[in-house]
Amino acid sequence: MNRSSKIIRYVSRRLIQGIPIILAIVVLNFFLLNLAEGDAVDVLAGEAGSATPEYMEEMRKKFGLDKPLPVQLAVYLKNVIQLDLGYSFRHDMQVTELIIDRFWPTLILMVSTILLAVGFGVLLGLFAAINLNTWKDSMVSVFALITYATPLFWVGLMMIILFSIKNDWFPTSGMENSAMFYEGFERVKDIAHHLVLPTITLSLFYLALYTRMMRASMLEQYGQDYVITARAKGVSERRITFVHVLRNALLPVVTMAGVQVGALIGGSVIVESVFAWPGLGMLAFESLFARDLNLLLGIFLLSSALVVAVNLVVDVIYCFLDPRIEVN
Amino acid sequence: MKLTKIMKGVLAAASIAAVGSFAQAQQAGGSLVFLVQPEPPTMAGYVSTSGPIGLLGPKIYDGLVDYDNDGKMVPMLAESVDVSPDGKTITFNLRKGVTWHDGEAFTSEDVQFTIMDVLKKVHPRGPNSFKEVSSIDTPDAHTAVFNLDNPAPYMLRALSSYESPMVPKHHLEGQDVKTAKLANNPIGTGPFKFVEWKKGQYMRLDKNENYWREGRPYLDRIVGRFVPDASTRAAAMEKGEVLYAAYNAVSNVEAVRLNKEKDNIGLTTDGYSMINPMALLEFNTKEGPFTDAAVRRAISTAIDRQYMIDTIFFGYGKPATSALSSNFSATGLHAKMPNYPANGDVAAANKILDDAGYARDGNGVRMKGMFDLIPYGEDWKRGGQYIQQVLGEIGIQVELRYEDVPTWLKRVYHNYDFEMNLNYFYQLSDPVLGVHRHYGTNMIRKGTHFVNSSRYSNPELDALLSAGMTTPDATKRAGIYLDIQKILANDMPVVNLFELEFLVVYNTKLKGAYGSAMGAYASFGDAYLD
Amino acid sequence: MSDFWKRFSRNRQAVLGLIILCVVIFVAAIANFIFPTDPFLYSKFPLSAPGENGFLLGSDSIGRDVASGIAHGAKTSLLIGLIATLAAVFIGVIFGAFAGYYGGIVDDILMRITEVFQTIPSFVFAILLVAIMKPSIESVVIAITVVSWPAVARLVRGEFLGLKNREFVQACHTLGMSDVRIMLAEILPNCLSPIIVIGSLMVATAILIESGLAFLGLGDPNVMSWGFIISDGRSMLRVAWWICTFPGIAILITVLAINLVGEGLNDALNPRLRERN
Repeated sequence: MNRSSKIIRYVSRRLIQGIPIILAIVVLNFFLLNLAEGDAVDVLAGEAGSATPEYMEEMRKKFGLDKPLPVQLAVYLKNVIQLDLGYSFRHDMQVTELIIDRFWPTLILMVSTILLAVGFGVLLGLFAAINLNTWKDSMVSVFALITYATPLFWVGLMMIILFSIKNDWFPTSGMENSAMFYEGFERVKDIAHHLVLPTITLSLFYLALYTRMMRASMLEQYGQDYVITARAKGVSERRITFVHVLRNALLPVVTMAGVQVGALIGGSVIVESVFAWPGLGMLAFESLFARDLNLLLGIFLLSSALVVAVNLVVDVIYCFLDPRIEVN
Repeated sequence: MKLTKIMKGVLAAASIAAVGSFAQAQQAGGSLVFLVQPEPPTMAGYVSTSGPIGLLGPKIYDGLVDYDNDGKMVPMLAESVDVSPDGKTITFNLRKGVTWHDGEAFTSEDVQFTIMDVLKKVHPRGPNSFKEVSSIDTPDAHTAVFNLDNPAPYMLRALSSYESPMVPKHHLEGQDVKTAKLANNPIGTGPFKFVEWKKGQYMRLDKNENYWREGRPYLDRIVGRFVPDASTRAAAMEKGEVLYAAYNAVSNVEAVRLNKEKDNIGLTTDGYSMINPMALLEFNTKEGPFTDAAVRRAISTAIDRQYMIDTIFFGYGKPATSALSSNFSATGLHAKMPNYPANGDVAAANKILDDAGYARDGNGVRMKGMFDLIPYGEDWKRGGQYIQQVLGEIGIQVELRYEDVPTWLKRVYHNYDFEMNLNYFYQLSDPVLGVHRHYGTNMIRKGTHFVNSSRYSNPELDALLSAGMTTPDATKRAGIYLDIQKILANDMPVVNLFELEFLVVYNTKLKGAYGSAMGAYASFGDAYLD
Repeated sequence: MSDFWKRFSRNRQAVLGLIILCVVIFVAAIANFIFPTDPFLYSKFPLSAPGENGFLLGSDSIGRDVASGIAHGAKTSLLIGLIATLAAVFIGVIFGAFAGYYGGIVDDILMRITEVFQTIPSFVFAILLVAIMKPSIESVVIAITVVSWPAVARLVRGEFLGLKNREFVQACHTLGMSDVRIMLAEILPNCLSPIIVIGSLMVATAILIESGLAFLGLGDPNVMSWGFIISDGRSMLRVAWWICTFPGIAILITVLAINLVGEGLNDALNPRLRERN
């Protein structure tokens, strides 16, 4: 059979295999979360300032929390299959609505971060590989490691102090200016303005990864036969580097970027906290401590589905880009 | 029947006295952006007393009265209040021409519904505050007559828009109040209307054009912003992105720094006199190492309260001197008691334990225990860490336990699975409302949060508590509470540590927001930007 | 072995990293001597600047000595990193070895399980685990282990897949060696180098996760660690920068050192990938 139908079969197989994984994640987390002491009613009652045990029992019945666990799980799974992620009793909203609300701020932050981190990572890795084992190479490595090892919240707060307070270039926090309520293009500009500091903070952290990957990837390419051949044929070093090696070296880096998508949803909890960025990371964090199970499970479901999908897309792109790769 | 007018109906005089001089003209317009921390779980202030609701709810809902900085009642939805000589009939003369945000008229039926069907049934403190109200008559649309079984002097101090917001009958009647849609789409009579709630970001309230008070509110809009990180909140305040922060939205440390470094940032401790927060230790008096009152007295004696105030709260606070906050001296109820040394006396504490027969072992340890900490922030972690060490000095070795809120609530109030718990409570505007819940036998309610968790039960004290509730005469009441405090200074099921002084941090651009005793929980109808 | 050291020591950065790491371990070891008093000890001099009141690196919010905390905390942070990594490597090797060696349905099942854990966003999962098990050193170690082992499993599986069909393994089969013996004694030693490399980097990641958890308030309140100090100073950054900064620097140089050593190990153990001269 030809290549494209092979790929189609591969994609369908992966998608079908992905479903039990996602379900397994949901079931696992369902039981884990139920291991935690206290439930959503406890939290609501605690915040309310008091509630009688009778009131709380009534609430539990209303939320369906009084049923045995396997029953609750079955109900939940049945709803999920019908694409109904349930109701968040804490927020008094559908889980789907809540997640969509917070999904696209996460997406914006994620995409900007990946673009910036990969972009700069590739450039720095390239620079290091070209200037191998010189002080320039060491400098890049050390810089990358420093940005990786410095606590994220410290970097975030320093950004705020330097670029928002000491120099009034950017707002301190939030996604939009909550006094102005811009519309249309003004709003896009406003969001972009608020996006800068959190993106830089998060990118610095992932920069190290892509820099190192790119450098190692370039080095691996340099050791390949086709480079030796090209040199023997008299092709200039410059041409070898920028036309051949660079293109091939980019592949694993791009793969890595795809894999990182999943990490970004969770990894941004700290940045979202420091910059009050209304993303899924903070939502997941809050819903855990509010024992808002439906919401937390919904977030896990979404992020796992995303990871499965992106991994698949990256693998397929890889297949298209590198004809030597076997699809099996 | 001769009625006592206890609140004059002249609004202008009262508000002038409360707000201070109106030397400069108030400018209309502008948006007030301020910090709300943490994000409220709901806007149903009639079901939940969660603090952050108080920052936004009272802008939307009015109460029957407000209170000025001297604690005197100020007209709100009630223009005047008449109390019968026997204290069992209270008549509220309601303001005319008030409309809900949806245009419907506000009437006495709303008051009757709010108190009898909502607050008395589902509000955490309502059943207690309105215990004596057996019925409410509505002879006409603007008069509500409360019929009490017994006099309840404390009830009149629980009528603010935070404590008892007036809710629309036509939106809640016939529904399950706890889960009605009104919770997240509040409709009140207040100076600001609810517009939108962007979860995780902000809540927006716009000016109520039809507010019953002519010319108010001045502001066009109020926005409450939710910012999770403490340093970022301080940064937003520093930059002027937000103009007001209360209830530790900006930590004391940062507040003091900002006030020092910037001309346009001010501080005040006003606005908390109806709250009276008290930091304290709850003990398990039935099981564990702390069942002996002598041990609890020793613990109380050892702790350096002033050090905790200075170090952890940056000097804002007052060492506790009895089971009641010293703010109750205004009503004559507070009295200084022994066993509450301000600076801690480790030697005396050691002596109490020696005399009680608790010998030290080879490592100097007399007993071991578990110490739970309220998981509401770092200040309490630090407090716990300090107390742990002081206890070490008197031979009590405790291990710290820091869990998240639902776990902690379950442990302390459901399972009584604790030995010693660091916590803080609002003593509110009358001991009946905020203090009795720690000590009454009838307040030992397994599964109910924030009541008698130590399971202390003393019939003599119970009798005194009952008497304190129903005695209107101030002098007699003072005597009752003196006895109460004496007993508690000896038994100490709860050891009061210190009275917290919360701060309000504000940008000097914001004026007119400081006239109410409710502070940040006030309506901001008089607030304007300079 | 000496060959290995020769290759390693040619990388000056790696040697530097090793020296720094040794210094950190040394400080952790002698912490009780240079700072004999309890690092938790409060004092009457909170928020002292570095050098004030006899505090070399300043004091924190209730007057604890930051320098003492860093020295004593070094042991905790290093141990958490080490133990979590060893546990993760152990689990990952078992999964990866069995999956790679046996293939087929064993591989499918084991890899699906690994994928489940790899797909869950790891930091949120770590937070979840610590919250459920209540914050303590044990729960932090378990949480870090659980989110770290999948990467090891994947790596080991790949190595075993590659090696199981080699001649020397065939020879062992012919000799009648048991499967477990082959896996442990023959194949595993041959893929130690990537495991060592990934393991060394994991120690650094573990330290970072621990400080991240402490920042969010999920650290053990009874044990001194770098994350503990940072979480205390987190909201005081403007008035007492030293509380966060010095432990942050400690984390920084430790993670840096570990990474340099890891890279050095990588270069020394994988001559194929060595740079052109």
